[in-house]
Amino acid sequence: MTLRLSDLSACFEGVIPSIIATASADGMPNISYLSHVVQVDADHVALSNQFFAKTAANVRANPKVTLILVDGATGDQFLLDIGFVRSVDGGALFDRIARQLKASSAQVGMSEVMRLRSADLFRVHGIEKVLSPAEGAPATVGRAPPGLPALSEALDLIEQQPGADEIIECLLDGVRSVLGFDHALVLIRDGDRDCLITTGSIGYEPSGLGSEILGGEGLIGASALSGQTIKVSDMSRVRRFGEAISQETQAAENSTRSVTFPKMPMAMSQIAVPMVARGTVTGVLFVESEQRLAFPDDDEAALKILAGRAAGALRASEWEAANAEATPPMPQAAFAVGREIRVVHHRFDDSVFVDGIYIVKGVAGVLLRLMLEWHLSEGRSEFTNRELRLAAGSRMPELKDNLETRLLLLRRRLDEKKSALRFVRVGRGRVRLETDGVPSLEGGRE
Amino acid sequence: MVVCRGEGTAVRIDEKLIDFFNRPLMSIIAAADEAGRPTAGRGIGFHLEDDRKTMEVIFSGWQWPRLEPSIRGGGKMAVTFVSPSDYVSFQLKGPAVMRDTEAQDLDRAERFITAATDELEALGVARPLSVPWLTARGARVARLSISEIYVQTPGPLAGMLAGADPG
Repeated sequence: MTLRLSDLSACFEGVIPSIIATASADGMPNISYLSHVVQVDADHVALSNQFFAKTAANVRANPKVTLILVDGATGDQFLLDIGFVRSVDGGALFDRIARQLKASSAQVGMSEVMRLRSADLFRVHGIEKVLSPAEGAPATVGRAPPGLPALSEALDLIEQQPGADEIIECLLDGVRSVLGFDHALVLIRDGDRDCLITTGSIGYEPSGLGSEILGGEGLIGASALSGQTIKVSDMSRVRRFGEAISQETQAAENSTRSVTFPKMPMAMSQIAVPMVARGTVTGVLFVESEQRLAFPDDDEAALKILAGRAAGALRASEWEAANAEATPPMPQAAFAVGREIRVVHHRFDDSVFVDGIYIVKGVAGVLLRLMLEWHLSEGRSEFTNRELRLAAGSRMPELKDNLETRLLLLRRRLDEKKSALRFVRVGRGRVRLETDGVPSLEGGRE
Repeated sequence: MVVCRGEGTAVRIDEKLIDFFNRPLMSIIAAADEAGRPTAGRGIGFHLEDDRKTMEVIFSGWQWPRLEPSIRGGGKMAVTFVSPSDYVSFQLKGPAVMRDTEAQDLDRAERFITAATDELEALGVARPLSVPWLTARGARVARLSISEIYVQTPGPLAGMLAGADPG
């Protein structure tokens, strides 16, 4: 059977280093390990060669090259005869190689060191499987690819949900039921502050709701920035700087006004899938597993489909909530009785503390302050998305696209902290404040 | 970063590099045929001769059948050794010839394979994964006259000449 590059997909995960052999014009061979090989199309591969000047010089003097690729799942080896075509240092192909290199080098803790300057493109002339002493040994049985009926059902469920809350729940349920992964996060983009905020979480304790990824940080940030799926298939090579998981205390959360990003201590594979609606990245679906090579191409495709459907549903839900013909809330007498619930809002970062416990900051903090002000001045407990958008939208232009998810984050953080304040959704585009006492609102000392 | 010195027509491996060769290692080999076509394979053992200028390198002729004809045809060889725990790597190059395999070569191969497999397993590479890489079946031996040594550890020093035949 003639082998094709497409048969070697597990060799391109960057798990086991590849090997490249070249020869100079006078026939002196050179051999080195290679950080990453990228499959370009059915007949071409691209190699990143950051450090090995000799290899780069040799392929220009003698374009004949031999590669050894290793299947990261089975250990099988393949010998490839390839020929140098050209070097690329810009454009879409270069960007793709650079992205994959970033993910791959993250596996050895060298993402900062291994910056791609250029990559070399090669044509594949022949592929042969290297004989193995393990031939005939029972093959490792992998998990079956996700079933289309189950995927279709999960997509339908996402589509049928009334609000952001349920859509994100359904997306995470789909990750668990269709693909069998137990650790996943949904992060929603906050363009005003250039960050991604964890708004949905399964499998983590603590949940990490409200934790943030800044800019293009790590796998998740890179995925949001590029709009591409990025995965790491073997974390065992990560140099675990300060790997001890810092179970940050509430005291630390209060002093830093930030929530610790959740971690799966024994994670071996990670994938970040952008949530794209009409060409815009609105968030990232992040999944982890304790298995090596946990995300084969079929799983990656299924996650991409689920994330895309959820992004579309979230956008539609936002639009519907914004346009709901909500009856203007009527002033209601505030009957709250009991102890004082002390709410402090800090203007410089819009962080909010309830009874001394850090809850949230940014847009969600502004929303809480607004609703509490209205509650205290007008005596009402129900609020509409429309009035929130009108009140805060001029200061935070992206609010029109993500008010629902910000309210969801606020509700979940208050619930998680067992706060004496709660917001309950009482209809499309409308929430109600419930309290276990009498709230007070004050500005923080900045 | 000079770790060995030139002497006569070959370079001699110094004490520092001797320490490196006493660690559990993996090795990869390249040779090029008369037409300049390179081929590659994995080493399964080595022996540094007392003069420290010659290294005998063992590989499986069954698994890497192109290596022996390429060494015979091109007369040169390159071997890179890596310490899997910290990626410290060195590449040795020079003229090479084949010699007959002896019983002690098989002992060396067995020790090398065991040490490498154990080291990989300690680093999280499951044994079934590394089994396909290292076999002594059809063991063959090449004698390398070391003329160049390069630092190959990933990083800014990669590719730097660590010692060469002064000519």
